[in-house]
Amino acid sequence: MLRDRERRESLLMLAPYVAGLVALVAVPAAITLGLALTEYDLIRSPRFAGFENFRELWDDTLFWTALRNSLMFILFAVPLRLAGAVTLALLLHRRFRGVAAHRTAAYLPSVVPDVAFALLWLWIFNPLYGPLNLALDAAGGPTPSWLTDARAAQWAVIIMSLFTIGEGFIVAMATRQLIPGELYELGAVEGARPLHMLWRVTLPLMAPTLLLLLFRDTIFSFQASFVPALLVTGGGPEYATTYLPLFIYRNGFEYLRYGYAAAATVSMFLITAVIVYVQYRIVRHWRRAFVV
Amino acid sequence: MPELRFAGVRKDYGPVQALRGFDLAVADGELLVLVGPSGSGKSTALRAAAGLEDVTDGSIHIGARDVTRVPAAQRNVSMVFQSYALFPHLTVAENIGFGLRARGVARDESRRRVAHASETVGCEKLLDRKPFELSGGERQRVALARALVREPDVYLLDEPLSNLDAQLRVQVRSELKLLHQGVGTTTVHVTHDQVEALTMGDRVAVLRDGIIEQLGSPTEVYRRPANRFVAGFIGSPAMNFLRGTVDDGAIRIGAVAIPHRVERLPGGRQVEVGIRPEHVELADDGLPAEVALVEMAGSETFVRLTADGAPLVARVPPGQSVAPGSNVRVRIPPDRVHLFDAQTGERLG
Repeated sequence: MLRDRERRESLLMLAPYVAGLVALVAVPAAITLGLALTEYDLIRSPRFAGFENFRELWDDTLFWTALRNSLMFILFAVPLRLAGAVTLALLLHRRFRGVAAHRTAAYLPSVVPDVAFALLWLWIFNPLYGPLNLALDAAGGPTPSWLTDARAAQWAVIIMSLFTIGEGFIVAMATRQLIPGELYELGAVEGARPLHMLWRVTLPLMAPTLLLLLFRDTIFSFQASFVPALLVTGGGPEYATTYLPLFIYRNGFEYLRYGYAAAATVSMFLITAVIVYVQYRIVRHWRRAFVV
Repeated sequence: MPELRFAGVRKDYGPVQALRGFDLAVADGELLVLVGPSGSGKSTALRAAAGLEDVTDGSIHIGARDVTRVPAAQRNVSMVFQSYALFPHLTVAENIGFGLRARGVARDESRRRVAHASETVGCEKLLDRKPFELSGGERQRVALARALVREPDVYLLDEPLSNLDAQLRVQVRSELKLLHQGVGTTTVHVTHDQVEALTMGDRVAVLRDGIIEQLGSPTEVYRRPANRFVAGFIGSPAMNFLRGTVDDGAIRIGAVAIPHRVERLPGGRQVEVGIRPEHVELADDGLPAEVALVEMAGSETFVRLTADGAPLVARVPPGQSVAPGSNVRVRIPPDRVHLFDAQTGERLG
């Protein structure tokens, strides 16, 4: 009896979340899947086109450019973001004077609205008066044309993404704090050097969470490139920063090719799923080798 | 095997003094038990010896080496933690050999020593398992094997039995004692359990508020406690205490006078009379008392009484019949009495 009541109450509490999930994720996803098989421009009724959109995508060089750009972005941004989050977590998990300010500073960029963040970087990357090039120039380093050189623009988007690692940092820090201090005390008594402890104890014990962060960040990174690509680099120069989300956005909202954009979205979803699965297989193997 | 020596060690945590002029010499090959209530400083002393706590003042020596400022890794001590501190992702063999591998001992040599240590403590069949697959007792053995495997100068055991159930604790207690007799390494064992202290220690140091209240063999500490605190802390059930007044060669408790042999005690002086439960006799004459509760504990029976307004416990043979609520008389043998100063708590005589 009590069980039934508890179940009813649980379902009741779950209902708003489920309703939101259905209305905002499941239904749009299903519509997207349907739209992907149509030709639709918001003016005329959708016309069933079978797999025509996917065939066109296959032949669209810009789609392949956007896909390659996205994959390169993930290849560099995800490991760097994860390494950054873990490094910050390992540096800031202890209590020391001023740690709260440091933690806030690490998290703050993640709560700045995307547009404001992008506009800030537009100023930072300015080749003439931007602080980044001024600092590089003062240090005698190279001063790239961040937003007009193709390779530099790709790095600019990656660099921007390295500062929004607040969530990963918080999760990694909480995971590190859960490792009992006695294990490190034992390591100290047993003569284990810090690097030995990091490699043999800290990272293996954090591995399940890091794995989760890796998957999450891969999925997130596919989308994270959208705002900087739209506002900072405009997808250029020469399509160097046209990533899949921007490709989809332009097809859908600028060229009014909703069916085509939906097909690209479905493709992006499938590619993400494949990447996450491959990562899972690799990391599972790596983790086994890591801890034995 | 070198000795471990604390000389005037002080450890402050802000305004709190965890150790206050702590002096102790643990002899070569000795098993010394540090016992005391929570917050007495026993774990702090152990951690200071391990190098896990910096001391505020004083020095710590292992053999001829002053290790006061020496990092933990270079002290050549092994420690067993209360939680055992086993690495959850490593197998038993990897846990035991962790320190050896960390110190660069070759894999084959490490494997050989792990096998030997695991046989010594009887966990050789568990080597491929992970800690979560082990019972509490098995984890404890693995932690011990890890401490043994490096053959250190000193073993430091921080309440290693406190996570075991009562039955297993008694068994492991004996095994630990036998193990120590076998390896003969200087060992400091910290516990809050006075039975564990008495049964295991070659000597026992009773701590309170960061200082040693008494250091001696288990027999000395039990039979001749240095003060009221030690008398009350060591022994189970605890020693009984009754308020008394010195009166012409006797101690007067209520209407009863108990002769005493302590000289130079002025008449009228207030004292605490200590008597262990096993020495309290239910007799035809003596201090009137009322039976509050009778507790049967197998081979013995404890009778909880109220005498002269104070609670009193008597241990009586199991056959003796006593009814709760009945009025009895309690005889206190003069030669079994411990006298303590009522103000300072120090032993008299």
